[in-house]
Amino acid sequence: MRNTWLIIKREYLERVRTRSFMVLTLLLPAIVAGVMVLPAKLATIGKKVQHIVIVTSSPQSGEIIRQGLLSAGDSDDDEAAPETNAPKQARDKQYIIDVNSNPTEAERAALSEKVNSQAIDGYLWLSDDAIASGEVMWVSRNLPGSRERSRLSEKLSRIIQQERLSGGGMTVDQVSIMLKPIRVEAVRMEHGRETRDSSGMKFIEVVVMVMLLYMAVLLYGISVMRSVLEEKNSRVMEVLLSSATPTELMTGKLLGVGAVGLTQIAVWAVIAGVFAVPALAMQPDLDQLKVSPGVLAAFAAFFFLGYLLYSTIYAAIGAIATTEQEGQQLQFFVVTPLVLSVFMLNSVVQTPDAPVVAWLSMVPFFAPVVMYARIVIQTPPMWQIALSLFLLIATIAGNMVLCARIYRVGILMYGKRATLPEILKWLKYAKT
Amino acid sequence: MELVNVHKSYDDFVAVDKLSFRILPGEIYGLLGPNGAGKTSTLRMMIGISVPDSGQVLILGEPLSRAHTNRFGYLPEERGLYKKMKVLTHLVLLAQLKGLTSGEATKRAHHWCERFELTAWMEKKVEELSKGMQQKVQFIGAILHDPELIVMDEPFSGLDPANALALKDALLELAKNGKTILLSTHRMDQAERLCQSICLINHGRVVLEGDLGQIKNSSGSCSVQIKYDGDSSFLREPRLVQSFNDYGNYVEVRLAPGADTQELLRLACSKARIDRFEVMQPSLEEIFIDAVSKPHA
Repeated sequence: MRNTWLIIKREYLERVRTRSFMVLTLLLPAIVAGVMVLPAKLATIGKKVQHIVIVTSSPQSGEIIRQGLLSAGDSDDDEAAPETNAPKQARDKQYIIDVNSNPTEAERAALSEKVNSQAIDGYLWLSDDAIASGEVMWVSRNLPGSRERSRLSEKLSRIIQQERLSGGGMTVDQVSIMLKPIRVEAVRMEHGRETRDSSGMKFIEVVVMVMLLYMAVLLYGISVMRSVLEEKNSRVMEVLLSSATPTELMTGKLLGVGAVGLTQIAVWAVIAGVFAVPALAMQPDLDQLKVSPGVLAAFAAFFFLGYLLYSTIYAAIGAIATTEQEGQQLQFFVVTPLVLSVFMLNSVVQTPDAPVVAWLSMVPFFAPVVMYARIVIQTPPMWQIALSLFLLIATIAGNMVLCARIYRVGILMYGKRATLPEILKWLKYAKT
Repeated sequence: MELVNVHKSYDDFVAVDKLSFRILPGEIYGLLGPNGAGKTSTLRMMIGISVPDSGQVLILGEPLSRAHTNRFGYLPEERGLYKKMKVLTHLVLLAQLKGLTSGEATKRAHHWCERFELTAWMEKKVEELSKGMQQKVQFIGAILHDPELIVMDEPFSGLDPANALALKDALLELAKNGKTILLSTHRMDQAERLCQSICLINHGRVVLEGDLGQIKNSSGSCSVQIKYDGDSSFLREPRLVQSFNDYGNYVEVRLAPGADTQELLRLACSKARIDRFEVMQPSLEEIFIDAVSKPHA
């Protein structure tokens, strides 16, 4: 116990004190902030007033389209979610729209010339039969992105539909009743209560966990493997082994490195909190961000156990391999189950209670991702969570015993990488 | 400390073949052998780093267990230190792993670093030290917890003569304080000067074992240097002399197996005038080469 603690302390302090730890801890948030903030900033810089001309032979329809485009939030949800409209509108491009009721070829050539010379940003060309045929031409310097194009066509079709209907003799009120969009509200039954979380938020909760686990496993797992290799190659291991058992060494290393990881994540969380909370507080849909304590506990448990599970394998790889390159090749054993569980994620989120998913969430190598995702999306029966946790912990314990054996023999083997039969033999003869 | 029929093999290669010997408390014991004889494998099993396939390691009659390891100090053949750690922190860590408190460990580390002229380097990282200095740090690390059994695998390799001398003095002092020291080396001259008993192994088996003086006496190939004046016919007595080599000033006589030096002296006295008659004990090196080059039975 004492030895394990001493090793945890050494691993922790020696790592936290390094310059690379400081740099990574502080630099990563800076990079993330850069990646998140810069494009938004750039977008505001690039944002300017768009000058558009609508060309149609009928000035009335031209005016209606102009109004439609100017007033437009997204037409599909402007009534259903009025409170989210304000920020959206603010984000929309500002338009100056002229109506030109002279659809001649000469005028068209003149407008094209204006687009070319950047006097205007583009023009909408509605031929006389536009309402009947539904064909509208948009001319601009840049092809609009698919999203922009679909928004444009959505708006125009609404305007043109209104035109067609009122042309058929309906009143404006009748038209707007007919065209009122339908919105489906998702309500989830949880513990007998109705909750209205958006599944988008749920998905983010899952993805954040998966990303963190992925990062922790790759970053700190590799770091465990490297330091085993380093101790092996620098023969420190021999000295340490004369004082401590392989199990103590391995547990100490795993927990020490794990603690470094937690420290780093804690620092990041604090930084994120300091910068993100004020920004989030301005968002009206803040309560959707609330994560329940149960989910938080599940996150902590599965994250920690997931890290332990995978890093025990990394430790064993370090003990088996002789060089880092060899270690990298063996990493396959760690990365495959992780990548597989990420592939499964989509079906887990869609059908969290399918029997296949339930069984997969029992498999220890997938449990950290799959079971956690199930808990977030739709809390599975308690016994399933308990069984999954039990199997996970049992596997970790078993792993530790096996790895300690590989450790005991492998760390004193220099020169050549062990083959699988050799490893099996180590497991047998390192019983004591 | 005792080894009983200890056996260890890696795959088909037998590293240690039913090895048995015992070390008495308080002596300096030399484990000798050519490269690859199984010395390091034997040492590792003796301090519990690896486990014998069969046979037993006994400490004062009890089988070796984890409880004993804090009473051992181990200096491995290949130096093993964390390169990025500071010397003092590293020494304290090693001693703490052996059960010392950090305060006591720091105090002792200061004392030993002073003795080995490392005080100026205590706050430096290990990687900044020269190999010889790292070697001294490693040695201090092995003895800081005042172990009863000190196991040293090639302790003098990489040290200059001055430092080797300091290390030798330290070892002798520890031995004087009642510590048992097990020294593994292939440098026979060092073993000859330091050890009371030796075990010479080759191919994982004991070739010679026991008290160094006895081994020297019993190693049959005794030789005598004689300076004489007069009749040299005594040199041709086949019952006593196996061969001789005349160097001009003196002859070196290799005695026949079982021959008595005193008988040769009497015979020589009766024939010639003897200026010098000296029984030469073979050096350990000669015994070593002799034993190792013999095809093993």
